[in-house]
Amino acid sequence: MTPLRGSSLHGRTAALALALVAAFAAPGARAQGKAVYDQACGVCHNAGIVGAPKLGDAKAWEPRIKQGVPALYAVALGGKGGMPARGGNLNLSDTQVKSAVDYIVSQAKVRATTAVASAPPAAAPAPATRTAAAVASTPAAQSPPASALPTSAAQPPAAPAATAPTDPPASSVAKFAPGPTTVAAAVPVRAPVSGAQANAFNRLLRPPAQRNLPPAEDGIHDPANDGTQLLQPPLEAFGALPRSNAGNRVDWVKALAETRIQPRVDRVDPKAEAVVMDLNIVREVKGSMPDVVYPHKQHTEWLDCSNCHPAIFVPQKGANQISMAGILLGEKCGVCHGKVAFPVSECRLCHSKPKPTAATAAPAR
Amino acid sequence: MNPADRYVPRRRPRTRLAVALFAIVAAVLSALAPDAGAEYGDVVINNYSDGAGMRPVVFPHWFHRVRYRCKVCHADLGFQFKAGGNQINMVKIIDGQFCGGCHNGDIAWSVENCNLCHSGKPGTLTQVHESTTSQIASPPARVTAK
Repeated sequence: MTPLRGSSLHGRTAALALALVAAFAAPGARAQGKAVYDQACGVCHNAGIVGAPKLGDAKAWEPRIKQGVPALYAVALGGKGGMPARGGNLNLSDTQVKSAVDYIVSQAKVRATTAVASAPPAAAPAPATRTAAAVASTPAAQSPPASALPTSAAQPPAAPAATAPTDPPASSVAKFAPGPTTVAAAVPVRAPVSGAQANAFNRLLRPPAQRNLPPAEDGIHDPANDGTQLLQPPLEAFGALPRSNAGNRVDWVKALAETRIQPRVDRVDPKAEAVVMDLNIVREVKGSMPDVVYPHKQHTEWLDCSNCHPAIFVPQKGANQISMAGILLGEKCGVCHGKVAFPVSECRLCHSKPKPTAATAAPAR
Repeated sequence: MNPADRYVPRRRPRTRLAVALFAIVAAVLSALAPDAGAEYGDVVINNYSDGAGMRPVVFPHWFHRVRYRCKVCHADLGFQFKAGGNQINMVKIIDGQFCGGCHNGDIAWSVENCNLCHSGKPGTLTQVHESTTSQIASPPARVTAK
């Protein structure tokens, strides 16, 4: 201990600094690795496209990792088989590509010993550094660092330089990254019922505060996802459109009729015109509800004949049994109405033709 | 024998029945209540995403119908009218099918923007958000497609 005593303060500070650097740099590198992976590699490596070994598939990755992480770096940078160099994204820097490889290796969870054996010598001090970081980060452990410090304090100041950049040796990542990055929530997401919702008068009516929320607040998009922040908030698009009382609270048919929106009829040709058929079908309904007038016009503005005929509706008078029960279950009109076209709460939009009554004695039209 | 004693064992099953009934009512209520504030018609597609470690896809109908009529996707591109019924995967998309008909870097942005589509909360089930079917008849079910 004598040679160390003189510089113990120095050593301790250096070790602390080193520990801090390691503590901050390593998760940062892992996050970067994941980001690069998601952007460039995941397209194939998530699903195993074109023979790509899947992320986290230890069996597939073990033989590859055994060849050494530098070999993996070389493959990632230069390409191999069906895999393009840098995952096809030539804008990525070497460091970024390597961080993605480190992330993949960390997810493979192949025993770190195999990686250590073939990893560059610079990898050796890293585990010790991380240990020091773990110890030093708890305040109680800072005062008696004697057992943890000598290893890292004995390293020349070159050590932090080797570990600090966003390019940590793969072995340390493989060994110490259980991965807070894994998306592993297998529990179905169904938000708990708040008291207000459970007793809402009409569950199809949403309270004003919950209408047209931006993606990050809508309960389905993941606010932690960077892409979510880039999505257009609905109200930004709905601002100029005629409103309605249900669904998106946009009257889409009116918006189209007034050419407030000009949705394309063809995927590529902006000039293509819709084939519109103007034919109303009146369906007499039981009970006192007004009869249904089905307008082909508004439907053919949006849809092709083949969307409904003959699979959903047999194009023949009297051949289709339609009931509200079936519609609520998603049959017939319910294939769209109640899912994306205006919902069934808007009774009178369909049931629009009052029955002739004895009092008025109006002739049936 | 006290007649009151005789009723005791009979009451227990009733309590259990009441608890069971309450549980059923609570389950139905929770199925009926809107569980999120997303747009009407937003489709969550989670056939393979969770299994592949990706966030589920959220497809915004409203965004697309501002730009395209229904027929472009549902007739020309062949999307079935059923959430999760199209077995879409990235191979098909890159091959130009389904979303890939437009999301090819030519008509709309390309597949490297993973997180714009794969933006749902992990574990969210395949469904048309706020559809009467899922609210009334059959709540979204986990499809174990391979």
